[in-house]
Amino acid sequence: MPIGIAASFRFAGPRKEKKKKKLGGARMEPPPPPPPPPLGTTVTQRDQWTVEQEVGRIYSFFAQLPPAAQSFALEVQRDNHIEYLTRGLRGLAPSFGSLDASRPWICYWIIHSLALLGEPIDAELEESIIDFLSRCQDPSGGYGGGPGQLPHLATTYAAVNSLITLGGSRSLSSINRDKVHNFLRQMKQPSGGFRMHDGGEIDVRACYTAISVASTLNILDDELAEKVGDFILSCQTYEGGIAGEPGSEAHGGYTFCGLATMILINEVDRLDLSRLIDWVVFRQGVECGFQGRVNKLVDGCYSFWQGGACALLQKLHPFGLSEGGEDESTDSIDSSLYAASNVSEQEEQENNLESASPQVDGTCQFKQGGPQSASCSENTGNASYNFHERCAEGGSLFNSSALQQYILLCSQLPEGGFRDKPGKFRDFYHTCYCLSGLTVCQYSRSKHADSPPLPWDVVGPYSNLLEPIHPLHNVVLSKYQEANEFFAG
Amino acid sequence: MHGRPRTAPKPEDAAASAAKAQKLRALQSQFLSYHHSRIYTEEALDASAKLLEINPEYYTAWNYRKLAVEHRVGESGSSPEYVKSIFDEELKVVENALRQNFKSYGAWYHRTWVLSKGHSSLDHELRLLDRFQKADPRNFHAWNYRRFVAALLGRSVEDELQYTEDLIGNNFSNYSAWHNRSMLLSEILKKKEQESSSQDVISKEYEFVLNALYTDPDDQSGWFYHLWLLDQTFKVKAPLLVSSWPVPGFDLVVSGNVSFADHPLSSFSEFTVALERFPVVLYFNQNVEGVNSSTVTIQSTFVQNEDVTWKPLSLQNSPASKVWVGYLDLSGVDHHSSAPYTVEIKLGHHQGIMSSNGLQLSIPFDLSFTVSVKPLETQSSKDEKVAWEEDKFCACETHLQVAIPCLCYDGITVDNKYEPTTSDWQIGTIAEEISQIRNLLAISDSKIGKITLARLLMAHDAMSSPYATKTVHAEEVLGLYSELMKLDPSHYQYYKDERSLVLLQQLLSSRETLLRYCFCYRGITSPSAYGPICLRLNNQSISRMGSFDKLLWVQLLDLSDNELHSIEGMEALQLLRCLNLGRNKLRSFTSLDPLRYLRSLKVLNISHNEIGLHSIDTTRYSCSASPLSHNGEIIWSDDVFPPEDADVTNYWEAFMVFKSLELTQLDIVGNAVTNEKFKSFLLKILPKLQFLDGQNLHQI
Repeated sequence: MPIGIAASFRFAGPRKEKKKKKLGGARMEPPPPPPPPPLGTTVTQRDQWTVEQEVGRIYSFFAQLPPAAQSFALEVQRDNHIEYLTRGLRGLAPSFGSLDASRPWICYWIIHSLALLGEPIDAELEESIIDFLSRCQDPSGGYGGGPGQLPHLATTYAAVNSLITLGGSRSLSSINRDKVHNFLRQMKQPSGGFRMHDGGEIDVRACYTAISVASTLNILDDELAEKVGDFILSCQTYEGGIAGEPGSEAHGGYTFCGLATMILINEVDRLDLSRLIDWVVFRQGVECGFQGRVNKLVDGCYSFWQGGACALLQKLHPFGLSEGGEDESTDSIDSSLYAASNVSEQEEQENNLESASPQVDGTCQFKQGGPQSASCSENTGNASYNFHERCAEGGSLFNSSALQQYILLCSQLPEGGFRDKPGKFRDFYHTCYCLSGLTVCQYSRSKHADSPPLPWDVVGPYSNLLEPIHPLHNVVLSKYQEANEFFAG
Repeated sequence: MHGRPRTAPKPEDAAASAAKAQKLRALQSQFLSYHHSRIYTEEALDASAKLLEINPEYYTAWNYRKLAVEHRVGESGSSPEYVKSIFDEELKVVENALRQNFKSYGAWYHRTWVLSKGHSSLDHELRLLDRFQKADPRNFHAWNYRRFVAALLGRSVEDELQYTEDLIGNNFSNYSAWHNRSMLLSEILKKKEQESSSQDVISKEYEFVLNALYTDPDDQSGWFYHLWLLDQTFKVKAPLLVSSWPVPGFDLVVSGNVSFADHPLSSFSEFTVALERFPVVLYFNQNVEGVNSSTVTIQSTFVQNEDVTWKPLSLQNSPASKVWVGYLDLSGVDHHSSAPYTVEIKLGHHQGIMSSNGLQLSIPFDLSFTVSVKPLETQSSKDEKVAWEEDKFCACETHLQVAIPCLCYDGITVDNKYEPTTSDWQIGTIAEEISQIRNLLAISDSKIGKITLARLLMAHDAMSSPYATKTVHAEEVLGLYSELMKLDPSHYQYYKDERSLVLLQQLLSSRETLLRYCFCYRGITSPSAYGPICLRLNNQSISRMGSFDKLLWVQLLDLSDNELHSIEGMEALQLLRCLNLGRNKLRSFTSLDPLRYLRSLKVLNISHNEIGLHSIDTTRYSCSASPLSHNGEIIWSDDVFPPEDADVTNYWEAFMVFKSLELTQLDIVGNAVTNEKFKSFLLKILPKLQFLDGQNLHQI
């Protein structure tokens, strides 16, 4: 995990809940398997084999379900996710607050997940979150993991993204941009990279969180961007992906961070993009999900880190297109899945299309660039704003349908929440990044980030459609746009 | 936190955990008060240690401990024993924290801090590492720390190499061990470079990795290491000019000072272009910067070197590009004189043209050709239409073939005495690897093995022929990609695109193969018996275009009936006048972006593609940020403003592509975007248009 730093999740709320019985909806877990002897020469291979068996079992169980049950199995269990998340958020309330060093992260994971599901947060709770995050804001700038703690780049990113996602002037104006800018400058290293915190480590994560925050708050200037590209470049390995620091091996989380940073500072062409593509596309395996590094096990959170990197690359270069669902989705473990999803989408499509379709303003005017106009050079000025407007020219660098299948059938828990892989427990981190990966998939073929995708791009009922995100910052697009206007002045 | 084994809490744990939370809260507020009042007593240190033991990610406490250490060391009167005990305490706190969470950034980082102050020993650290690396052999924190310790405490590279060998022997799927091996060998190779014994080291490694590959050809780890070895075998090369237009020694005939619109295609005869100024295109094997009038000098009687501006042809807003173009103005030429003018271009004699990794152009290059101006004689009908029907094309006759400039192309090598820099050892190594992997694939269906073989074969071809004029292995590579498309359908399109590039390279590699795709176009009246030459690569199931370096001379190009979804790179074809992209899979006007740079383009067929098929909310799109970033600004003419009454708002993307073109003929039928409203928009922004979807607009 590249960014999250929560270690003691167990205090965030009781993990085990009573299982709810749904009327007519059997739980989609297949019966327990007979324990087969693992195959493979090495420990790694045996572990991999076990996961493949487990995932394969889920898919083949799914394949023999009747169509109605298949449709249900592929459904995003909105109510249960919302319940799980809301309960977690209440557990975060101030009285419980500041137990560890990553409160703003938990805020972000939950708030962002709820926003993706289109679920508003009640006003009182929102107030208390804003107050809590304000108390995490250091007097000299930036946000710490809790009140009184040192400001930290990762928690600053989490806090800023949380406040942007909450939106509204009270939330947005609670961010002291000048001070944040100050903090970012203090973390800036002569080598070009950033330190996570005073006396902390220097890595790609720090670069991403610093540049992303600077960009969303419209305080990105040449001084902050200077030589960041050199540092990121020194972390791209021969594998093609990007490592956390020079000399380390390529890693999905850092690859997203490095790539997004390079796009934000307008230097993405300095990376060896063709090798990056080679690396990232082959991290999607037979389980349909992504692994984070070469020869590691699949993990739902890389649906966003790796899937999101693919989506960014697709926007950069017209690449490998395949249109429609038929010809390219044949690799799924059972193609009847697609038949099932097509049946259900027709039923659901009508009443849900409009929830996702953006508001259209009748009067249009030409503007030069976006509303953003920071005091920085042409080079970095509008990179972020304009990026989400770029369309994915080609088709997929990754198999979006297969990835959705993994997220929905293997990572999703019908009782709410998402997990790494079958056999693991749910948590807010995986819930956030599985949902983020899901929205990336759903809109990955969309021409524009905010135009509703075609029915066959959404696996399962069309009501599965989540809110679109800004792919560089991972905040809901409409929230990003609101913030962008707010901070334009 | 993720990836750590976790157990589900039992219900009775709930009360315990609430009590624990209560305790932790107290501990934390106590700690913060110590921290903020800068209290560094035993008691205070204890509190921070306890806190970190419970939550190693509590980075504020790590910082506090650093301050405390500095404070106590400063106070101690520096008795070495006391100082040592202070640092030993830190090592212990870190170890406790790592036991709680061995993926803690803060804990590992604190340890590097203690070590950089000169405490602990190599043995001690290696023991600690062994413990954690056994528990999780892929933990990148531990690996980073291991590299740090080895470098700081002087562990020999050979010993570390042995360690990776042991780990690989235990579990050859452990990619982190392979990766660290590559880091260690990089150091060894750097030292050996002077001794030129690096070849032995590399050869040995090939043997080593081959063992792993044979044990399980489907395991990814060994293959990635193999990839690194290949990189070591073929170090990054300096940039090289691989193609140009005009080609050296070429006699260019320009039908002078006329605009194409007045004299459509009839002006083609032999190899003639009708332009007021003609492009010189330089095509390198990689992106380069620094092409300008001081690195490239032009000598001719009609144009001053300083007057030529070199521009990168790149869609991205980047100062580096593979392709550079400079336009030579012909206005200073006497149109009544038929004597040819000589143009000499020299580049690479001064430093300055370099790749992104700072390597200079390897070989200086001199290029000389002649230009003669020929007044136009024929007066063709204005209403002549280019039709792409089969019966309009006929085979190129032999005397015409000479006129195709690409065919003098091999000359570039001879004239400039290019010596391949590839050594026998490199060719030998690659040939050896090819045969090894072929053997391996005889007993296995490894996908990654097939990709590697395909790339090795292409690399072999490229090495034996740097200008891609021989493609000995193309057939085999095409076969491999076809197999992969079946074996691994989830990456189908990826393989298909790779296959297309190889196919094009094969089709365009030699004079013989290329001639099969050159046809005379007879669809228009022409003064000579034959028409202009058209390169027809239609119906080849190409999904991606490439090999543009071979196509710089092309004026008529037929790519219809393919599966193109992108024409990226086509901006290099500066002479292109007629382009048929009919019946492909282009999805939007944005995918036609390269056309914006083709100032000679007059006739365009994009009928029966998928433009507009995708659901787009154009209104919203153009509202918010239409004149977007102006990405890739090479605006040839002054910025074009849309006619006032044109519906630019709804067709912004189309406007961006067409605004700088002066099309006379456009076929766009069979796209979802096409309707009467769109057509009337096209008429407004393309005032020179004579034919739209076959209809003569002047006869309405």
